[in-house]
Amino acid sequence: MSAVLDVRGVTFGYEREAVLRNVNLTIGSQDFLAIIGPNGGGKTTLLRLILGLATPWSGSIDWPSGLLPGAVGYVPQFSTFDKNFPLRLRDAVVMGRLSRGGLIGRYRRADYQAVDRILERLHLERLAAVPIADLSGGQLQRALIARALVGEPQILFLDEPTASVDAQTRRVLGEVLNELNQRIPVVVITHDVTGFATQVKQIACVNRELYYHGSGQLSHADLAEAYGCPVELIAHGVPHRLLRDHTPATVNA
Amino acid sequence: MSELLALLDYEFARNALMAAVLASVLAGTVGTFVVVKRLVFIAGGISHAAFAGLGFCYWLGVNPLIGAVVVAILAALLLGWLGEGRGRSQDAMIGVLWAGGMATGIVFIHMTPGYAPNLMTYLFGDILTVSRADVQLLAVLTGAVIGVTALFYRTLVAVAFDETFASVQGIPVRRMTTLLLVLVALSVIMLIQVVGIILLIALFTIPPMIALMLAQRFVMVLAVAVLAGLMTSTGGLVGSYWLDLPSGPAIVLFGIAALVVVRALNWLRSGYHARQAVGGPGD
Repeated sequence: MSAVLDVRGVTFGYEREAVLRNVNLTIGSQDFLAIIGPNGGGKTTLLRLILGLATPWSGSIDWPSGLLPGAVGYVPQFSTFDKNFPLRLRDAVVMGRLSRGGLIGRYRRADYQAVDRILERLHLERLAAVPIADLSGGQLQRALIARALVGEPQILFLDEPTASVDAQTRRVLGEVLNELNQRIPVVVITHDVTGFATQVKQIACVNRELYYHGSGQLSHADLAEAYGCPVELIAHGVPHRLLRDHTPATVNA
Repeated sequence: MSELLALLDYEFARNALMAAVLASVLAGTVGTFVVVKRLVFIAGGISHAAFAGLGFCYWLGVNPLIGAVVVAILAALLLGWLGEGRGRSQDAMIGVLWAGGMATGIVFIHMTPGYAPNLMTYLFGDILTVSRADVQLLAVLTGAVIGVTALFYRTLVAVAFDETFASVQGIPVRRMTTLLLVLVALSVIMLIQVVGIILLIALFTIPPMIALMLAQRFVMVLAVAVLAGLMTSTGGLVGSYWLDLPSGPAIVLFGIAALVVVRALNWLRSGYHARQAVGGPGD
């Protein structure tokens, strides 16, 4: 299994205080990695560094297989844009094809055809002409996933994808991620690792430093070890019990 | 009406109308980006900074617009450079440019021998004094700004909507934002002619605000904003002629009246729909 992303000895912070110290992480081509950890522990900061939105103080972030910018799929949390922006769902999703055609490019028929296929897969086709301001939380979340997928990414990052979404979105998200992970690595930042219990193969806990847990089959011991990382995580409200109850059924799946 | 049409026999009236049309096209297009990307205060800073160049060229005795163009673009580049990750310094720098530009401009105009009748013109606008050469310069600048906006349209909309996502897609967000600020600077110069420095922010904001209430797609918002700008500026001009008011304030107040009317109609319509929904048979 080849490495798609190689993070080595990365240290980064805001002002003078380091938020992340000496982080090492390798993501392989079949990985389904959950990044967990307490608020303020540096999860989202690590994602920003990986996405090239910030530059590390020291260390390196490499894409050994040579990924182009547009080949990275990214599903942000809601707050990165203004929901009242005058766009229909279809116009927002087609932006996932931005990296094709350069700065003065136009969206072509092939771009809109790709959008229509993705919308159907995420059960959004009937909402294509609806302004994004009128979408529910779950619908908007699916639209963001569609936007990330329509660019046919070679790796997908999702930042808190299950925060405040409906049951349908959860189910569709599970199906789509399963299918995607047959081909590309998926990285989920989440508080709710149980929501992805059937899919997650690796867990990394970020709390200033990165604690990496397991490659390959997820075991009970891996999970226990994952939650052996600093106390803030447990105090943060991801109950141990929930995970343990769910794992035996899911590991075999 | 025929009285108004007869006015068009005069060159000053034709120039005024042309300037109003060009300014509306620009204000509608660039103003929509300014409003959705929340650059209103930055646009204010650039326009007031431009007054420094205006005063300097007035003192030199060359066309003040040239100085205004140069300084406005320099201010846009500076604010674009300060933009990323340094929000506080950009915000404060807007204030410095705002006051500094006005102070510099006034000092140069003060140093110019003789009476300075044009000062009020630049502050509050007097579209009736726009010359044929001014209209030609406006036409060239309008063509350039619209052309650049059309060329980079897809990228500009994406950056205005979601900078983070655009950046992940490999778009040079900072350079595109600076480009947008330069377009703002060029538009500011034209709007100075029509409504003056102090009131031009109204032409940047009122037509797009009207359009955002009426249209749901970005390209339609642009179109409606241009139409709303045309209505606002020509309506204001006609009003200023009939009521014998200064043209700049008449345009602004006419625009605000239109904004209030559209808002009220929108409110009545959504209230009607809400009542229909409540009263509807178990729907």
